[in-house]
Amino acid sequence: MFQDDELIHEFVVESSSHLAEVEGQLLQIEAAGADIDANLVNTVFRGIHSVKGAAGFLGLTVVNALAHSLENVLNMIRNRELIPTSPIVNAMLRAADQLRSLVDNVSNSNSVDVSSFVNELEAIADGSGSDAEGSADPHEQVIENSGIETERAIDSYINYDAALLKDCELTPEAVVATPAPPTISKKAPSLPAEKPAMNQESGNSQAKQARPADAFVRVNVALLDRLMNLAGELVLSRNQLLSAVSIGAKEGLENIASRVDQVTSELQETIMQTRMQPIGTIFSRFPRVVRDLSAKLGKECSLEIEGNEVEVDKTIVEAMGDPLTHLIRNSVDHGIERPEQRADKGKQAMGTIRLRAFHQAGKVCIRIEDDGGGMDPAKLKAKAVEKGLITGEQASMMTDSESLRLIFAPGFSTAAAVTDVSGRGVGMDVVRTNIEQLGGTVDIESTLNQGSAVHITLPLTLAIIPSMIIGCAGERYAIPQSSIAELVRVPQADMETKIGRVKGAEVLRLRGALLPLVRLDSTLGLRTVDEHSERPKSANILVLETGQMRYGLLVDTLHDNEEIVVKPLGKHVKELGYLAGATILGDGYVALILDVVGIAMQCNLRNIESSVKDSISDEDDARAEEVHRLLLFANHSTEQFAIPMAMVARIERIKASDVRVIGNQKLLIYRGNSLPLIRVEESINALPPEEGVANLFVIVFRIVDREVGLIAPILRDIRDIHLNMDSKTLREPGVPGSTVIDGYTTRLLDLFELSRAKHPEWFVSEGVVEAAESEEMPTILLAEDSDFFRNHVQRTLESDGYKVVGAVDGQDAWDHLQTIFDDIDLIITDIEMPRMNGLELAKAVRSLAASSNLPIIALTSLASEDDQARGTQAGIDEYQVKMDPARLMDAVRRMLAKT
Amino acid sequence: MSTEKNTNSGIVQYTTFYCDRSLLGLDISFVQEINRNLDLTRVPLGHPCVRGVMNLRGEVVTMLDLRTLMGLPKSPNTIRNRNLILKCEGETFGLWVDGVADILTIGSQDITPTPSNLSLVDSRLIRGVYQTENKLVMLVEPRELLAASLTGIRAAA
Repeated sequence: MFQDDELIHEFVVESSSHLAEVEGQLLQIEAAGADIDANLVNTVFRGIHSVKGAAGFLGLTVVNALAHSLENVLNMIRNRELIPTSPIVNAMLRAADQLRSLVDNVSNSNSVDVSSFVNELEAIADGSGSDAEGSADPHEQVIENSGIETERAIDSYINYDAALLKDCELTPEAVVATPAPPTISKKAPSLPAEKPAMNQESGNSQAKQARPADAFVRVNVALLDRLMNLAGELVLSRNQLLSAVSIGAKEGLENIASRVDQVTSELQETIMQTRMQPIGTIFSRFPRVVRDLSAKLGKECSLEIEGNEVEVDKTIVEAMGDPLTHLIRNSVDHGIERPEQRADKGKQAMGTIRLRAFHQAGKVCIRIEDDGGGMDPAKLKAKAVEKGLITGEQASMMTDSESLRLIFAPGFSTAAAVTDVSGRGVGMDVVRTNIEQLGGTVDIESTLNQGSAVHITLPLTLAIIPSMIIGCAGERYAIPQSSIAELVRVPQADMETKIGRVKGAEVLRLRGALLPLVRLDSTLGLRTVDEHSERPKSANILVLETGQMRYGLLVDTLHDNEEIVVKPLGKHVKELGYLAGATILGDGYVALILDVVGIAMQCNLRNIESSVKDSISDEDDARAEEVHRLLLFANHSTEQFAIPMAMVARIERIKASDVRVIGNQKLLIYRGNSLPLIRVEESINALPPEEGVANLFVIVFRIVDREVGLIAPILRDIRDIHLNMDSKTLREPGVPGSTVIDGYTTRLLDLFELSRAKHPEWFVSEGVVEAAESEEMPTILLAEDSDFFRNHVQRTLESDGYKVVGAVDGQDAWDHLQTIFDDIDLIITDIEMPRMNGLELAKAVRSLAASSNLPIIALTSLASEDDQARGTQAGIDEYQVKMDPARLMDAVRRMLAKT
Repeated sequence: MSTEKNTNSGIVQYTTFYCDRSLLGLDISFVQEINRNLDLTRVPLGHPCVRGVMNLRGEVVTMLDLRTLMGLPKSPNTIRNRNLILKCEGETFGLWVDGVADILTIGSQDITPTPSNLSLVDSRLIRGVYQTENKLVMLVEPRELLAASLTGIRAAA
């Protein structure tokens, strides 16, 4: 009966692609309800119809019969004889599911009993037919229709055949008909929980699994044409190369080599593109998941999908199916509350889940957001302690975002009762592992009663990884760039101070923090620990970061960055945890690819990490100060200055002889522009630099829309420092305070004041004019717990004529606001403060009708995008970095002008 | 050759090679090539029988040490050492042997069962024994060899 495997295969491919779309379309039809979109129904009808046609042609009677009854119902909807209610669409979805499983296992399809589906559909057709008044006898109509259908079906067989022929000839306009990658076939195993409810048919599940893994890719012909062209180019280049080599020509060789280089990289890129698939192929299954699950749980959810077109490597698309399904189900099950609960909270009864994919910085991000109940960090911690995952002591030290991450810990589940949907306590752990295996990361944010968001970052492809090649004990290894945060070189002289031991574990002191240190050679048993003592040379350390941990890896040498092609390892070595695969380097040498998580596991890093954490908490005094990233430099080697990194645009290395003196100004001619330079000793009391320095560094920063360079003869370090400033002892204009770092009295520089002292003319046009215009200067409420910063900002504001009311924390500011509300024109607030933090203050201010429009500027030390988003949500209008007075003043002026 | 495709009479060609002083034989259809490539990448923490991995024309292939597999101590490399590249059950791997001897065509009727007093090897690995005029050739079963090497590794891990 089965004429030709080829033909059957074509049928499976084509039908699968039809059926893949049908599901989403049926859901749309359901959503539209009585307001029937004839075009949409027609599309579904045509899809089912061509399945039916081809099945009849191939003698697949069961497929044909089921498609036929589905078609009947669709026809009635199309003719508006039937309103597509939920039960009707349910029946149709079930039938479509069954149809798909028949198609997936086409060779056995004729022995499957589908009578229950057919009967159900026929009952629908009959039932509504009898309801519809004045219409023709439904049976007659059905028969009539099927008569027409048969005729049309015959037509379509012919068309179908023609299409086949066309494909065989590979005409350019046809999409190459390599069998499709029907992601649908994967769907069955991933939705085990809803199966009992959805499928009564027992033969169903086994039929679905019969489909082999997707071994084929659909490729756009245009892309294939490009590949052909490139292959042609490559052949040409090769011919040139061969002829050049055979006549021994030297001069043209370079050109040919660069041509080969170019063609090869283009070829590589294009081939990679053939592996790219829109992520929509997995997204398309989720409307159904959400619909079925929310119906089952008695919830109301809508799913918004964005970024269907975002393309990712096929392997990644496939591997993300299960983790995403799990996350979506979690959102419905745990995230979105029941309608009555939502009503109590004043939310819409209908919960919303947003699924978004987008490109960001060469990676693919997927975000799943819900506006559900959110998670309570305190509850998570309590649960984790109860389950023995963390100790009570650890819990008390965890920040909210750390506690949220607890849900990714193995054996953690927050569902009060374990349901069959989620809450088996394996899910999130597996999700994290799956994503990390793909080289991605996953993170979670949540606000109680407002919702949660899971953020996934994935690489575009797995086949080629940009990697750093490192050397250790005579071997070379590759480490994926994506997990390298930075490279640190510790010179021999600093070994003693930078590398220390905490409870027997080695640690690296990096910008004031302690980082667990792993020696690659002893971890892999390449050298014993004793051998290290003999060679205290300088150390090359890679700071590695995975979603879960951060550590330093000490290696012998750093080689190049290379784009490596991952090769699988043989069975004998595959199971070594520290290995992620192997690659062949340019010289033919096999380099092993190190697995960053695997290495950490190999040396039980978790233990080291926790002991480091302990020791840090021992060292720290109870009062937590904010961390600032400071650039440390020296003018004269006995002194040290600091500048907040946030203000530094970039650092240039110049020759001392490049500095020109014109009039009383120092300038650096640089990229065709002249950069005004200032020297520390010209503006404040400082020693001039030592003579005879040939190379200088220039710290470039922006002030009042112009770039200015500060000469820094000696750069010392970049450090994250808990600022504890003395704002009295060494105070002078340009130096707001001082602190002791590494035994040096370090003066913090205010670049704004420094530049103003040297070039008052730059600042003339501002502030002063405005002060003249308005009779009374606006009053600003300033909330900041650090005396140093409060005084500093207050001085800056007052120097421009503003009135400033200082508050020592959010609560204090709030109290002030109650009493002198009418006088306040603007609020500037720190974020991290005791009693009431900046976010809480902003929320409180916004909650009052009278102050809902009061501008709020937040000052932070390090503002990430996430922080900013949270701030915006709380009602903060703008973020400004601390210690950048110029920009703060600018923002203040802008905000006040608006009101 | 007359033996080609001639499976009825059970005639098989064997590559013979040395392991210490014993002569072993492997069905030639499992042997992809024989080379003397010394460019190995060490695999730290691997099983002792894994000598390393090698670039075999773009494929990364694991190299096993026959002596270690056979429970013998390793010996220094000599000029006679060779890599047999085997393909068995979809897995390509190399076998470092103490030298390649000859190719023998052996009919099944000439193969005798493994003598029970052979202390050298686990008798499971040996299909049988073939007697030449002056030598005894032990015929190795490649599937068993692969399985034994893998179980050895799993047990160690």
